[in-house]
Amino acid sequence: MGISKDRIKFNVGGRLFETTSTTLANAGRDSFFGALFDDEWNLSPPEKDIFVDRNPDCFAVLLDLLRTGDLNVPTNIPERLLHREASFYGLLDHVRTAKWGPFDGNRLRLGDSVKGIAPGDGTAIRAGPDGGCCVAHGSVVHVLDWMLEEHCPINLDYQRVNDVGWIDSDNIVLSACERLGRGDGGMGLFSSSSGDLRYKFQVSHENQVKSYTAGALSFCPDYKIFASCKGRSNEYGIGVWDQITGKQTDFFYESPGWSLGDADKLQWLNGKNCLLVATLFPRKDNCYISLLDFRDKNMVWSWSDIGSPMAIDEKRVRDAIAMEDSNSICVVNEFEDLGFIDLRMYGGSVRWSSRSRLMKSKMPDEPCYPKLALHEGQLFSSMNDSISVFCGPDWVLTSRLRRSYGGSICDFSIGGDRLFALHSEENVFDVWETPPPPII
Amino acid sequence: MSNQKKRNFQIEAFKHRVVVDPKYADKTWQILERAIHQIYNQDASGLSFEELYRNAYNMVLHKFGEKLYTGFITTMTAHLREKAKLIEAAQGGSFLEELNKKWTEHNKALEMIRDILMYMDRTYIESTKKTHVHPMGLNLWRDNVVHFTKIHTRLLNTLLDLVQKERTGEVIDRGLMRNVTKMFMDLGESVYQDDFEKPFLEASSEFYKVESQEFIESCDCGDYLKKAEKRLTEEIDRVANYLDAKSEEKITSVVEREMIANHMQRLVHMENSGLVNMLLNDKYEDLGRMYNLFRRVTNGLVTVRDVMTSHLREMGKQLVTDPEKSKDPVEFVQRLLDERDKYDKIISTAFGNDKTFQNALNSSFEYFINLNARSPEFISLFIDDKLRKGLKGIGEEDVEVILDKVMMLFRYLQEKDVFEKYYKQHLAKRLLSGKTVSDDAERSLIVKLKTECGYQFTSKLEGMFTDMKTSEDTMRGFYGSHPELSEGPTLIVQVLTTGSWPTQPAVPCNLPAEVSVLCEKFRSYYLGTHTGRRLSWQTNMGTADIKAVFGKGQKHELNVSTFQMCVLMLFNNSDRLSYKEIEQATEIPSSDLKRCLQSLACVKGKNVLKKEPMSKDIGEEDSFVVNDKFTCKFYKVKIGTVVAQKETEPEKQETRQRVEEDRKPQIEAAIVRIMKSRKVLDHNNIIAEVTKQLQPRFLANPTEIKKRIESLIERDFLERDNTDRKLYRYLA
Repeated sequence: MGISKDRIKFNVGGRLFETTSTTLANAGRDSFFGALFDDEWNLSPPEKDIFVDRNPDCFAVLLDLLRTGDLNVPTNIPERLLHREASFYGLLDHVRTAKWGPFDGNRLRLGDSVKGIAPGDGTAIRAGPDGGCCVAHGSVVHVLDWMLEEHCPINLDYQRVNDVGWIDSDNIVLSACERLGRGDGGMGLFSSSSGDLRYKFQVSHENQVKSYTAGALSFCPDYKIFASCKGRSNEYGIGVWDQITGKQTDFFYESPGWSLGDADKLQWLNGKNCLLVATLFPRKDNCYISLLDFRDKNMVWSWSDIGSPMAIDEKRVRDAIAMEDSNSICVVNEFEDLGFIDLRMYGGSVRWSSRSRLMKSKMPDEPCYPKLALHEGQLFSSMNDSISVFCGPDWVLTSRLRRSYGGSICDFSIGGDRLFALHSEENVFDVWETPPPPII
Repeated sequence: MSNQKKRNFQIEAFKHRVVVDPKYADKTWQILERAIHQIYNQDASGLSFEELYRNAYNMVLHKFGEKLYTGFITTMTAHLREKAKLIEAAQGGSFLEELNKKWTEHNKALEMIRDILMYMDRTYIESTKKTHVHPMGLNLWRDNVVHFTKIHTRLLNTLLDLVQKERTGEVIDRGLMRNVTKMFMDLGESVYQDDFEKPFLEASSEFYKVESQEFIESCDCGDYLKKAEKRLTEEIDRVANYLDAKSEEKITSVVEREMIANHMQRLVHMENSGLVNMLLNDKYEDLGRMYNLFRRVTNGLVTVRDVMTSHLREMGKQLVTDPEKSKDPVEFVQRLLDERDKYDKIISTAFGNDKTFQNALNSSFEYFINLNARSPEFISLFIDDKLRKGLKGIGEEDVEVILDKVMMLFRYLQEKDVFEKYYKQHLAKRLLSGKTVSDDAERSLIVKLKTECGYQFTSKLEGMFTDMKTSEDTMRGFYGSHPELSEGPTLIVQVLTTGSWPTQPAVPCNLPAEVSVLCEKFRSYYLGTHTGRRLSWQTNMGTADIKAVFGKGQKHELNVSTFQMCVLMLFNNSDRLSYKEIEQATEIPSSDLKRCLQSLACVKGKNVLKKEPMSKDIGEEDSFVVNDKFTCKFYKVKIGTVVAQKETEPEKQETRQRVEEDRKPQIEAAIVRIMKSRKVLDHNNIIAEVTKQLQPRFLANPTEIKKRIESLIERDFLERDNTDRKLYRYLA
């Protein structure tokens, strides 16, 4: 065999590298290396080597990434340096995909812990679609990209933030309290990269624009935004906006004796074409969970604990999540007992699972309410300083994520194949990732 | 140095900023600018990609992205302006080639520039939401070259000119055309549409307007369609070769509009070659072409269909109302079937089995078949003919095919009950005379009628078959219980249920003694096995086989009717009988007797009797002797009764009257059914509903319906509303 003809030499910052055109083709068209190829992906190698005035150590790492698809960063190379070099060559996306694997709640490893400068307790953390996240503290939301580089923080007239959400990797919706009589607050759309306010959503009742406090948010795949709203003159309910035009398209007024405008959680159910609205203790004295069908403005299912006898150990629902696959709603109480309500029956009751861990004795000083999340058939529940993972039809506890530092977890979120957990005592959040798949 | 100057001593502020070459950005840009020039001058081989990429990267990194971006635009614009001038200078045919060449060069250069500026493309442009390098390069080409005033119209005219040349038969450089139109497409859909497609369509429209006018003056319809089709395929071909696929629909619609839609009426009605002519001469190819072309334009098929329908109706009307042609019912129906076959074939081969055309065909047939009140009778007669003899030697499947076709005609009939009446009569004759060819065919037809019209329609017909079957069994039983009867004449009785069979007045006659004895025996046997029944003899329907020996000893077996048998038996006892004597002895009604004697004495070759005097008609004074000289080469001789196959005028009237009579209770039943559910209904609606409900059987006459309503009112089924006399109420 002769010497293969597709060899190519690089001189990077004085160090010589030799590789092949097939390896370089892995870089894709929109990269430094892609520009060396012609339209038919043929490489005409120059007689001598190609000189590149960049860091050779990083080049070695990136070349290895192109060769194997694996990212192995020696400890002496700072992440930032590597990211900068990857950006020069146009390989940032390659680095990101190699950094962590597809999400699996039972294989998570702590990837990073990020300490912030914001004062006060955290309100919410939301994972972005491509590995970034945003964290709400008081009236400011900090935005971090997948490299955990912080971008411009965002705020809506410096009003207290109630919820945030990602529409896509470049757009964040923020809901905030109103300021009396000023028309400030409400809901705004922001650019995640520059932090600019792009659009402010309005609520109008009978063709009059009203100021309002926006609460929990949810989005649905056909470009709608849902938010629980509290208006000045008892205009409580769920507002609906179009993501493309930004215009309000609908409003579901709350009926007397029920609660929608104060909701803790909204969840869009794709299969049922309904919105789950949950208002829970202690925001109200009672808990209300309902499914709204916006096509005929109908509350198609509802549950409340009004009138139900107080149990001995006072199990109150603290969070709820609909599980469409099993036609049920999972709820959790302050002792992290899971309960289930059947969605197919109207007026069913909570079936608490027996796996109660009586933790009454050792509750932390500043308890955080448990939260629930569902991701590809895995159920996640946060309690105190740990997150439990449940799997299977009977929701067996399979893993527990815990870090001692930072106190209780006040919120967590899964997205972009990462899990972000925000702690309440210190301003710190943890990033959990699934390692890349094993070699064999 | 003076002291005064020293007084102004200042401490220089500490500089935090690292001093960079203030001309850094300009210098770097100059390198890049020079490179862009070199690229455009096709002198890029000496350039270092790495160096240029790094420079562009550095400019963005040091916040000179804006400068880089605007610089790139200005430089490229300047270059493109120059190119535009060069292109413009090209003369004649080389103009397009030059444009194409420069366009290819620009594309190549743009690719390289994009590679160099990749980092800016990815970061600076992304975050500032400006137009990316590649689309920007295309926009610049569009604005500076394609829309350059001296190029814009010239380019368009050149292209249209080439298309025109190709249409008139010249060969053009299709590859070049494709490249140029591809350029328009690359520049964006709107550029292609505004700068090329729209004017192209307008020019085409003009061209075809003139051409179609020329053609229509000089060609006949078939040739015109051929030319139009050719033009259409040419345009489709053109689109496939060098235009955007999306243009196909637009250009074909232009051709369709100019060549077909605008001349539709004229084409269809063209004398000696239009649609009617094609239909008459079975020009499947032309018809198919017309269908395919007209299908493309709105109302095209409607026009074709309307003309076909009116032609069909006209033709059919002539066919069914021509008294000459309705003389022979079998031929009449055969002609209808042929006509249907013809149009079926046209629709299936030329019109792609279009449902709407089939519907038009059906409605036309329905229209004209019912123009002739005797159609039901004729169809029944046709079936009768086929089932009597026509089906001999034809396979089972062919029988089905013929029956299916006849059923098709049957479907068109409005007066299905009239058909039923006739069919019953004909079937009765067939069954009784044992002349039916195939039991299977008979039954299969009954099944078809049943699926078409329901159980009710055929229940009596099926009853007739059952009677035949039971009669067989009865006869077996009869002879089984009377073994002594194996000698002497054999009697075969068919016991018919009254009501299932067409009623005919029982014509009594005196049977010969030998036979009447047997009849009595059968009567007592039958009434003995079945209680509460009544038997009456329908001698006018029977047949008999008798053996006869003639003068010179010729032996023959004669197949005759019962009446004829009665007459012939008389000659066993006497040689000569007068008409009066025969009438007295047999008591056969005179019309029947005359017919019977006529067939015995006057039919050539079958004249077993001799009449004196010899003449064609039977007179009251005639007398008869046995024809001793009767010869026949067959042993068996069938002597038919002279009987008109077609109904005579009074018979027809009678059938008609019976049908009308039968309709009365059906109309009344329908009225009562409707009123029972509606309770109150006005006159017009009741007529409409009754007509609709009875449609599957016959077309009810409104005056008849009105009469029935009156009769129902008299009998207190209905009443008129007190205030509104047009309203009827149902009385429970």
